[in-house]
Amino acid sequence: MQPVIEVQGLSKHFGTFQAVNDVSFTVLKGDVYGFLGQNGAGKSTTLRMLLSLITPTSGTINVVGQSLSNNRTEALRQMGAVIEKPDVYKYLSAYDNLRLFARLSGIKPTQQQLMQQLEMVGLAERAKDVVKTFSQGMKQRLGIAIALIHEPSIVILDEPTNGLDPQGIADIRNLILRLSREMHKTVVVSSHLLSEIEQVATRVLIIDKGKKLVEGSASALFDPAQAVVELTCNDAANALQLLQQSQWAPYLQPQRQQHIVLKMHRNQIPDLNAFLVQSNVAVYSLQPKHSLEDYFLQVTSGAQHVATYQY
Amino acid sequence: MWQLTSIELYKIFRRPRTYISFAAITALIGAVQLGLKVDGQSYVDFMIGSISSLEIEGNILNGYLICYIILQMLLVQVPLLVTLISADMISGEANMGTLRLVLTKPFSRTQWLLSKFFAASIYTLLLLTWMACMALFGSMLIFGTDDMMLLKSSYIVILDDTDVFWRYVGAFGFAAVSMVAVAALGFLLSIFSENSIGPIVTTMSIIVFLTVLSTMNIPFYNYIRPYLFVTHMNNWKEFFDVQVNAENQSLTGTIQNSGRIINSIIVLLLHIVAFVGAAIVIFKKKDITT
Repeated sequence: MQPVIEVQGLSKHFGTFQAVNDVSFTVLKGDVYGFLGQNGAGKSTTLRMLLSLITPTSGTINVVGQSLSNNRTEALRQMGAVIEKPDVYKYLSAYDNLRLFARLSGIKPTQQQLMQQLEMVGLAERAKDVVKTFSQGMKQRLGIAIALIHEPSIVILDEPTNGLDPQGIADIRNLILRLSREMHKTVVVSSHLLSEIEQVATRVLIIDKGKKLVEGSASALFDPAQAVVELTCNDAANALQLLQQSQWAPYLQPQRQQHIVLKMHRNQIPDLNAFLVQSNVAVYSLQPKHSLEDYFLQVTSGAQHVATYQY
Repeated sequence: MWQLTSIELYKIFRRPRTYISFAAITALIGAVQLGLKVDGQSYVDFMIGSISSLEIEGNILNGYLICYIILQMLLVQVPLLVTLISADMISGEANMGTLRLVLTKPFSRTQWLLSKFFAASIYTLLLLTWMACMALFGSMLIFGTDDMMLLKSSYIVILDDTDVFWRYVGAFGFAAVSMVAVAALGFLLSIFSENSIGPIVTTMSIIVFLTVLSTMNIPFYNYIRPYLFVTHMNNWKEFFDVQVNAENQSLTGTIQNSGRIINSIIVLLLHIVAFVGAAIVIFKKKDITT
């Protein structure tokens, strides 16, 4: 696969604060590249440097083989982005905003093309409404339409599900998958939610305190054998005692609040459920989940240095 | 560049606040015209009270004089109206959060800044054109035209009515350069802030401060006075001072001190270039963290 974004030794200081520290990564053509880290980890600063909103203290960025610092305008032509909140001109309609940003991108789309773009993000019916009447999810979708209006090959979305309701989150997730699968865009998406990245990303980079922790394929990083399963049932004390005396004891983890936690392969969940039911435990839920905190602990306890999983 | 400038003009004129300045100018000029129409004679009596020995014929309170009175009053207020837009050009984008989305589009920051400054300048010129229409043409329509009599500190200037109009064209042109200099200062300050209030208040504070400095008759300040742009902003009045012959008669089509006008325009233009140049240099290095 051809690299479309190549970042080498990227660092950024704000005074004495080091926001990004010697981060290197490569985004390949067709990737849905997940950029994962807790709030304040340096994700947004890195993405802003990719878009030349922030000047790196050191390091190089190449976009489609060209240096960003030497070919800024050409590099930006290849990219469309929504950074944090998709703030647009609230006194203009969705249609007028889209037309304005299209002209800023140096193109003059027809009315039909603009409406098609709004249709793609599900805003065609609200095209003539002023944006100040829009929900956060609608603004987010309009932001994505604006990012795509000049048909960039790379789409950068910074925390696109922030502040959205579950339906909004699902809409954005589906849109990202469409961008990748149907429109063949390379997508870089950042989030602090592992579950969000897990569902869309083909490759993942995890960043913490400005430093790269791991980079690799999503399938390798989100190993189903390492699923953390939360059990909720009618009698947690009894269930815990039963599990401790059974073959499930090695899988038990420290309890979280009222939940019993086990670390196991996802495929084992039906067997665990069967065991509990046969033991007369009323199971309310068995929820497999990754916790970013757990994941970080797992990554950092194994190796303090930068790790690269299989591609 | 014109594409970007037209987009900025579109944004300016789609915002309701833009029209506040036009409405304010209309209301202020209308109020002056109404007052002078109703009780203009009292104003004239007060004006020529000290020279009542003169026998004056004709329509003293004509459209030309009214326009001059209005300009004297309003050119102090117009910088505020100009600053309302120019100081909001960048800070407003930062405040709305649109700055980071706009700057991910494929154009250079220099192009974008220049287009924004051109748009702010065009707005300023339109504001002054509106003011000219209201103050000059409106007053000519309401009060008629005649020779224009101006009382200076130690002499009287009388301009033939055929010799006035071009002076107003020059005066408004000069005022346009002055106001663009004000716009440039507001524009420069707008890159440092993430809300519009700060740059607007700072611009006006600087203008007030420098105006006080330029009017203080203290020798120390005399050295810097020629270099302050506010010192030159009132020199539009030079268009209404004429040369006189040996019989002390006004020479039609002349300006007494055209060199002062040219000097002022050069100083103002240099300030515009300096303010906009500084804005470009600083903004190109600015990290967009909003």
